[in-house]
Amino acid sequence: MSGSATTGDAHAFRDPQTPDATLDREADYLHAEHTLRSWFFTTDHKRIALLYLASITAFFVLGAVTAGLVRLALVVPDGQVFSNDTYNKLFTIHGVVMVWFFLIPSIPATFGNFLIPLMIGARDLAFPKLNLASWYVFMTGAFFTLVSVVLGGVDTGWTFYTPLSTAFSNTWVVPALIGVTIVGFSSILTGLNFVVTIHTMRAPGMTWFRLPIFVWTHYATSLIFLLATPVITLALVLLILERAFHIGVFDPAYGGDPVLFQHLFWFYSHPAVYIMVLPGMGVISEIVPAFARKKLFGYKFVAYAAIGLASVTFFVWGHHMFVNGQSDLASLAFSVLSFAVAVPSAVKVYNWTATIHKGSLRLDTPMLYAMGYIGLFVLGGLTGLYLATLAINQHVHATYFVVAHFHYIMVGGTVLAFLGGLHFWWPKVTGRMYVESWGRISAFLIFIGFNVTFFPQFILGYLGMPRRYHVYPPEFQFLNILSSAGSTILAVGYIFPMIYLVYSIWFGKRAPANPWDARGLEWTVPSPPPAHNFLSEPKAPEIPYDYPIQASESQRHHS
Amino acid sequence: MSAAGASEVGVRLAGHFATVEQQRRAAVLGMWAWLLTELLLFAGLFLTVLVLRLLHPEAVQEAARHLKFWIGAVNTVVLIFSSLTMSGAIQLSRLGWQRGMVRCMLATAALGTLFLVLKGTEYHADYEEHLMPFLTERPYALDHLPASRLFINLYYAATGLHALHLFTGIAILLVLTRQASRPGFLAVHQNRIEIYGLYWHFIDLIWIMAFPVLYVLNR
Amino acid sequence: MTTSDLALQLWPPAASATAVETDWLILAFTVLTLLLTVPVFVAITWFAIRYREGVRADRSSSGVRSMPIEISWMLIPFLLTLIFFAWGARLFFISKSPPADAMVVEAIGRQWMWKFQHPTGQSEINDLHIPVGQAIRIRMTSQDVIHALYFPVLRMQMAVLPDRTTEMWFKADRTGTYRMYCSEYCGTDHSRMDGRLVIMTQAEYAAWLQDSGAQQGGQAGAGRAVYEAYGCGNCHDPGARVRAPSLAGLYGRPVALADGRTVVADESYLRQKILNPNRDRLAGGGRQVMPAFQGVIANDDLDRLVAYIKATGPRAEQEDPR
Repeated sequence: MSGSATTGDAHAFRDPQTPDATLDREADYLHAEHTLRSWFFTTDHKRIALLYLASITAFFVLGAVTAGLVRLALVVPDGQVFSNDTYNKLFTIHGVVMVWFFLIPSIPATFGNFLIPLMIGARDLAFPKLNLASWYVFMTGAFFTLVSVVLGGVDTGWTFYTPLSTAFSNTWVVPALIGVTIVGFSSILTGLNFVVTIHTMRAPGMTWFRLPIFVWTHYATSLIFLLATPVITLALVLLILERAFHIGVFDPAYGGDPVLFQHLFWFYSHPAVYIMVLPGMGVISEIVPAFARKKLFGYKFVAYAAIGLASVTFFVWGHHMFVNGQSDLASLAFSVLSFAVAVPSAVKVYNWTATIHKGSLRLDTPMLYAMGYIGLFVLGGLTGLYLATLAINQHVHATYFVVAHFHYIMVGGTVLAFLGGLHFWWPKVTGRMYVESWGRISAFLIFIGFNVTFFPQFILGYLGMPRRYHVYPPEFQFLNILSSAGSTILAVGYIFPMIYLVYSIWFGKRAPANPWDARGLEWTVPSPPPAHNFLSEPKAPEIPYDYPIQASESQRHHS
Repeated sequence: MSAAGASEVGVRLAGHFATVEQQRRAAVLGMWAWLLTELLLFAGLFLTVLVLRLLHPEAVQEAARHLKFWIGAVNTVVLIFSSLTMSGAIQLSRLGWQRGMVRCMLATAALGTLFLVLKGTEYHADYEEHLMPFLTERPYALDHLPASRLFINLYYAATGLHALHLFTGIAILLVLTRQASRPGFLAVHQNRIEIYGLYWHFIDLIWIMAFPVLYVLNR
Repeated sequence: MTTSDLALQLWPPAASATAVETDWLILAFTVLTLLLTVPVFVAITWFAIRYREGVRADRSSSGVRSMPIEISWMLIPFLLTLIFFAWGARLFFISKSPPADAMVVEAIGRQWMWKFQHPTGQSEINDLHIPVGQAIRIRMTSQDVIHALYFPVLRMQMAVLPDRTTEMWFKADRTGTYRMYCSEYCGTDHSRMDGRLVIMTQAEYAAWLQDSGAQQGGQAGAGRAVYEAYGCGNCHDPGARVRAPSLAGLYGRPVALADGRTVVADESYLRQKILNPNRDRLAGGGRQVMPAFQGVIANDDLDRLVAYIKATGPRAEQEDPR
């Protein structure tokens, strides 16, 4: 394929003259019915995705506000802004809400719900009622957690380490634990639905290796939902029994082992990191080829890397406990296994980069987020290797180095991917275009704000500032002020999209079926999609990511 | 498919599936996925039992000797029989023998209830023997072995969680039996019996693991 | 020198060979990180410019087979990073194998204070004085929740667990006063559970051991630290949210009990009331919310605390009335 021809092709996408597959307003899923009932008792995966989107956005705001207050408190070193108890509650709420009520459901429950049936050519998920039930379960868990916040909060940290959580904290631990336990069931139900759907509901001809990487990563994520979540359910139930009914299993007063709880906790919570990261990788794997106009490089490797990450993540939980009293040999094993995570991660990053090579790039908002994601994920991932190094861990464990590391993965990774995906699929979901220039501005603001907020924390951590410190030595103040200043930029970057995206719902330009000229079955249906997804029998593409510019791989064994 | 006196057997297609075969596969896979999750839940519990055993072998052995071995053993037999009746129900549902199937399901529910009654008796005996360390007002029989509290507590957590599953299972089974006794049920929802059967066998299987892990290994 | 002299630090001081080597380890790792990432970042930026839509560029497939590329970028970075796994593991295991001649310091963590006991019997709170050039082995345990003892200057931390003993050892090679923290979140005053690590010459250390007995002479003064560490003031201070009975001047006064008796708050009463507040409930119908400190507070600390309570208020100067 010659260079000039490809460029010409690429120019054609977004041509306003291209006729769209238009649809009667009444037939699309947003306008098919109007009653409240039709939303709260819907079994349409697309509407349930929007229910989730609204809920997690609310939780994101709550988590972000508490984060802002934490950063506000840390502007001064002597803890004059809040009492220590208030500060502890703030970071606990921030952690609990962001982890369980935003990050874990973020991409799977919204985009996963919305897109998986569309991408595989199905009318819905395999169990639509169960899907709705999972949202109600989620909201029930959320209710309990909010009850604990309203009653006075929790101060155990999101990790709920015993015996602090079971015997010493005087705060509302039990409702929070109940909330988190319940929310786990909503994850399980979502994961179960995805696994069954991906196995059984694919359209004729949609073989495994024709699936978008987004579906692969969600499959891997769902396996983690199914296999890891029950373990934390158990751990939290044992905590509840110990705290509320004195049915103690970890109580050191009787020879119990509090580190055992940490093992059970991290057996879930480490894989949970990949629940947050893998769907993001799926989003990036959709965006990069679409905006490079090029077939994804190394499709099979990227697909297998998702499964590889989901598998290896079950064997590294002990790296959270190198200095927590676990045996040294166990630490050695967990250390080397953690290094192995670098292999599938490197596959992803290098393949995205190779996809951009010799592409025809359009730097629209989703692509800006994707590029930011790659940069931040690389930094977050490699600092993860620092932490997996035993001697370094011994120094920076439980310091701001860890805080910076996991924010690079979770904000730099998941949140950027979430926002990238939100902009990429917004026209599909709402049928409206947002204002591109605003999108680009906010993408830059978030990237800059994020780095100013969190990069100084790497230095703070290496200097030895422990995490969860309200009062800290004065020599750390400058870097803390820098970090807090960055968080204000980040906040502006978050508020922008909320405004212009909501604005676009009423005032945005009508979106065509395929505004990015992207591949994938979801772009073959009108925007917004009809209530039953496909107007005619969906036809699986012979090659996934069949963009105008071919990657070298497919040249080799062209069908 | 149907012998004389048997009703028609089949599954009605739900709207979003393309074929009945697809619908059946989805339902079976869904139940297996759920059971996988449940298995991991109990695996964490059993692992915790074994860790306790390693940490405090003497206290755990002493505590395990106070468990009612024979009640546990009888309960194991009861549940195995209930699985047998459940299998019978599935087999009869395939043949379309609705009445026999309903009887088998009722027998299964009865055996499940018998298990819970025996379990309740066992808890009562435990209470009488002062084996409830979490009751702060009541003296604890093995107070000289502090670590035995952990094992006993875990015993209640594990058997309690299993009993909760069984209780839920019986409740669902009774509702299902009510539905299944209506004429024409097997023609549209035969696979519900099969799917439910998987769950029942699973509860049985969990007890078959719990019994040795709690009662036998530690004696 | 103290670290607090500096307004902005970018690299922490190091006071042991292990700490210095840890620094080298992370610096070398950073070099490798840069080697692995800078090309990616440069490539992405370069591609974004070079292959921007509309720019004339050669977009023909290079015909490179992907398998060898995939394998190489999977394995080469992994194998390179394994060097650092091995280096880090070696350093870690060195820090886990104390020499036989190490001086043993016992450490106790509790909400929210540290107590260290030197082999010669002296103990100190929230400070640790140690001699330079001597291997020190700290044996730690916690009396309540999980804590962790962290010395950034030594690049070392270790969890302090209830009902178990953990250890760390190091050999400082630089004198000075450095920071020490609790690095495992442990509740309300977690961030106040810090202190100083004072590394002294052998002679200074010997002199300090001599003096420290005298420093501890004021039992009541040490008791004040205990009072704060256990958060007694959260309820008993005037103006506290929980309106617990004031302790000022309590010693030697008659106290009315719920069962009608009146007792004098003598030393044994104070002691009993701290250890088991549920006994001898007070008159006045207030709810008894104070936790029992039986098994929580060590005997020597209880002595100090009682000494502190005795020292507060008007009766302090008088002799025991009984």
